[in-house]
Amino acid sequence: MSLLEIDNASRYFDGLAAVADVSLAVEKGELIGLIGPNGAGKTTLFNLISGFTPPSAGAIRFAGRTITGRKPHAIARLGMARTFQNLRIFPNMSVFDNASVGATGIVGQPAWNAVFGTRSRAERISERSWAALERTGLAAMAGELAANLSYGKRKYLEIARALAMEPDLLVLDEPAAGLNDSETAELAAFIRDLNATGMTIMLVEHDMTLVMGICRRIVVLASGRKIADGTPDAVRQDPAVLEAYLGTGDDDDYS
Amino acid sequence: MIDPYYLQQLVIGLSLGLTYALIAIGFTLIFGVLNVVNFAHSEIYTIGAFTGLLLITAFAPPLLAVVFVVLAVGALAGFGLERLAFKPFRRFSDEASLKSRAMRESTLMSSLAVSIIVREALTLAFGSQFQQVPLAYLINQPIRLGPVTIVRGDIIILVVAALMLGGLQYLLTRTRIGLSIRAVSDNHMGAKYAGINTDRTIIMTFALGSMMGAAAGILVGLYYGAIFPAMGFEPSIKAFVAMVMGGLVSIPGAVITALILGVSESMATTFVSSVWSDMVAYSFLILTLVFFPQGLFGKGRERV
Amino acid sequence: MSDSLAKRAGAPAALIGLVLVVVPSVLAYYDKGYFYQLATLSLIYALLASSLHLVTGAAGLLHLGQAAFYGVGAYVAALAGVHYGIPFILGVPLAGIGAALAAVLVALPTMRLVSIYFAVATLAIGEMVYLVLLNWVGLTGGPNGVVMFSGIDLFGYDLGTRLGAYFAVAITVSVSIWVIHRLTHSYYGNALRALREDDQCTDAMGIDTIRLKVGVFAISAFFAGVAGALWAYTTGYISPEDFSFSASILILAMVVVGGLGSLPGAIIGALLLILLPEALRGIGNLRNITVGITMLSVIIFLPRGLMGEVSALHFFRSRFASAWPGSGTRKVGWR
Repeated sequence: MSLLEIDNASRYFDGLAAVADVSLAVEKGELIGLIGPNGAGKTTLFNLISGFTPPSAGAIRFAGRTITGRKPHAIARLGMARTFQNLRIFPNMSVFDNASVGATGIVGQPAWNAVFGTRSRAERISERSWAALERTGLAAMAGELAANLSYGKRKYLEIARALAMEPDLLVLDEPAAGLNDSETAELAAFIRDLNATGMTIMLVEHDMTLVMGICRRIVVLASGRKIADGTPDAVRQDPAVLEAYLGTGDDDDYS
Repeated sequence: MIDPYYLQQLVIGLSLGLTYALIAIGFTLIFGVLNVVNFAHSEIYTIGAFTGLLLITAFAPPLLAVVFVVLAVGALAGFGLERLAFKPFRRFSDEASLKSRAMRESTLMSSLAVSIIVREALTLAFGSQFQQVPLAYLINQPIRLGPVTIVRGDIIILVVAALMLGGLQYLLTRTRIGLSIRAVSDNHMGAKYAGINTDRTIIMTFALGSMMGAAAGILVGLYYGAIFPAMGFEPSIKAFVAMVMGGLVSIPGAVITALILGVSESMATTFVSSVWSDMVAYSFLILTLVFFPQGLFGKGRERV
Repeated sequence: MSDSLAKRAGAPAALIGLVLVVVPSVLAYYDKGYFYQLATLSLIYALLASSLHLVTGAAGLLHLGQAAFYGVGAYVAALAGVHYGIPFILGVPLAGIGAALAAVLVALPTMRLVSIYFAVATLAIGEMVYLVLLNWVGLTGGPNGVVMFSGIDLFGYDLGTRLGAYFAVAITVSVSIWVIHRLTHSYYGNALRALREDDQCTDAMGIDTIRLKVGVFAISAFFAGVAGALWAYTTGYISPEDFSFSASILILAMVVVGGLGSLPGAIIGALLLILLPEALRGIGNLRNITVGITMLSVIIFLPRGLMGEVSALHFFRSRFASAWPGSGTRKVGWR
């Protein structure tokens, strides 16, 4: 049984197919890259699996449970954590508080417990949050206001927040966007190390160096459809992929 | 044949609805079309009524003159309101700030605060009771139309509402200023880049909408003979309901829903009891917000 | 360690001392009914402002109808007392529960509404409750209100004196605010603040945002109901006028003036907006206009409210403030 199974998922917006009949199975421990030209449907697919948008057709299963159309928080509790393309951290809260939101979601902190309960939940949340911050190298800035962080550090904060959820599947939406070459290389190494510890990771990226460098399996989307699925080498030479990125051979200037 | 009693109730409802429509037109222009959260429109309405009253008691001019002066004062008040409660929040003119929830909530609270200040100032100056309205100006001379009776005020309000409605539709669809208004409401930054003076557009819209609000104030004030500092609260709620039910962006839609609201309230008064008539508006509001987010006529309320 | 503990415990202890020792001594010394009224009113509104802080300050849900729950609580306590002889010790929690239930009823259909529309919905609901209180004469006595002769009865021991009543109110309010403080200073409070920042994203973190919103709304209403009960028991007479839209706005203004997101700010805002107009009493009934002017000035010039902008209040901020932006590095983590 795969960790994540997408069965013929489609999503239409006003008749236009953002995602059309995509099927994909993600096994535990994989490090998968999702690429494709702009508008290919990558982020929509992420929204489908994380519950932000219900599919118009098809089914999605995660950890053996059907999650089609379930709310994001329910899916998160089953073990999926994600980051966002446009970096949605909580700017007016501290770094630690940001990370702890992820942990709070999974461990849970009901009102009654917050006032009268024992400290055990709070301690578990704290532990997870510190662990996540340490893993991403942000522990020293724990008390700092998130808005004061540099762009690069904010990216790691979003990842820390997701790690605090101790997910089985980590979904990263363009983690390298806006980073320079050396930052991207650092991030690539970080993601690879994370995967080496057993975390299943799926990421969307435009930066080919990163994707080809660390992903062992690449899925290519174009116009909402899956057009390739294989190793980096196979995908690099796939004519359908080349056509999607570079256009048809008619333009002699680009041949 | 319908019992003339019920026919009369229907006509009363339509009259009531027309008074709501009158205030809804200016309100919808600012809030619905321009997409600005304005909680102080009710006080512009009240200022219009008081200005008219002061003019009448001081100089007893013809009604038309009163209306013109009130229109001018309304425009001025609208300008002042915009500068005081709305301009300060546009100091950060980047996309994110302009569209942000925080800004909408800030302008809600700032306009609310201004409305409180104006209302309390009027109360301190004039007392909270109904003001004396000279009999000659009350526009409630009855006119018989077959089985039903209406009053002179109904005709006046109908004509004014039609003029406002027609005028605005023409303005919004056929003139450059109307185009600017629609552009700014759709995409403030985009309009700026296209060379539109967004500040001036917003000021003009406020002036226009407030003019209409003030005119509504004096006309409805004379219609019922009831002018007092807190008079704007209820009609504004009704106007808001009409606007939301009408789909937010549609001024004609708001007019129609205002009429529906008036008739519904009249029916409630007839068949249930007058004290619960306000419940009709609030219930309609909740029902519309929860079950018909797109309103009855409009494109919906993803905006605001 | 013990030094910082003493520092942390020092400030709350000073506050308790103020409310339970200093103020009553002053009240007893002057023994003027007006002062007792003012003190009680201040405490009640401090509680109301704190209750609204949970919903509007922390969770960021603009709420224009808190007076409705204040009113529900007051009427539950008053009617229970008058018709069933239910005493203070039971009436207060009963009022809170009644208000909380009303809040859940209100919240369920409206929770999915987006910010401004939610605000207007709360306004409408506040007005609907006011209309019911005013017009359902059979239940509520209509505009004539409800008169309570019973006063505060603690386990059969009648706290007949004004000082006794003050203590009953002060202790109830202190305990309530302590609970609200615990909620704010916890991971639950953190979740509320995340809700305010970005509710969709918070949902993706595993937090059921709808349930959280309904929950915090109900808790806030509970304390507003408690405040209402305290009002009923101390003034002995309630009428719908006490629970109108103006009251809701007054409570909102307190939270805004003190600083959205700050519990001590809400309390300071409450004290300011109750005591300042009283100090200006000589000039006329200036409460409402003071509220309007203060609110407008704060929104435009001190957008983060008194607690956020006035450095003199830094003392309170460092002792009590939970996640106040700009408070820089501070002890991290919640209990």
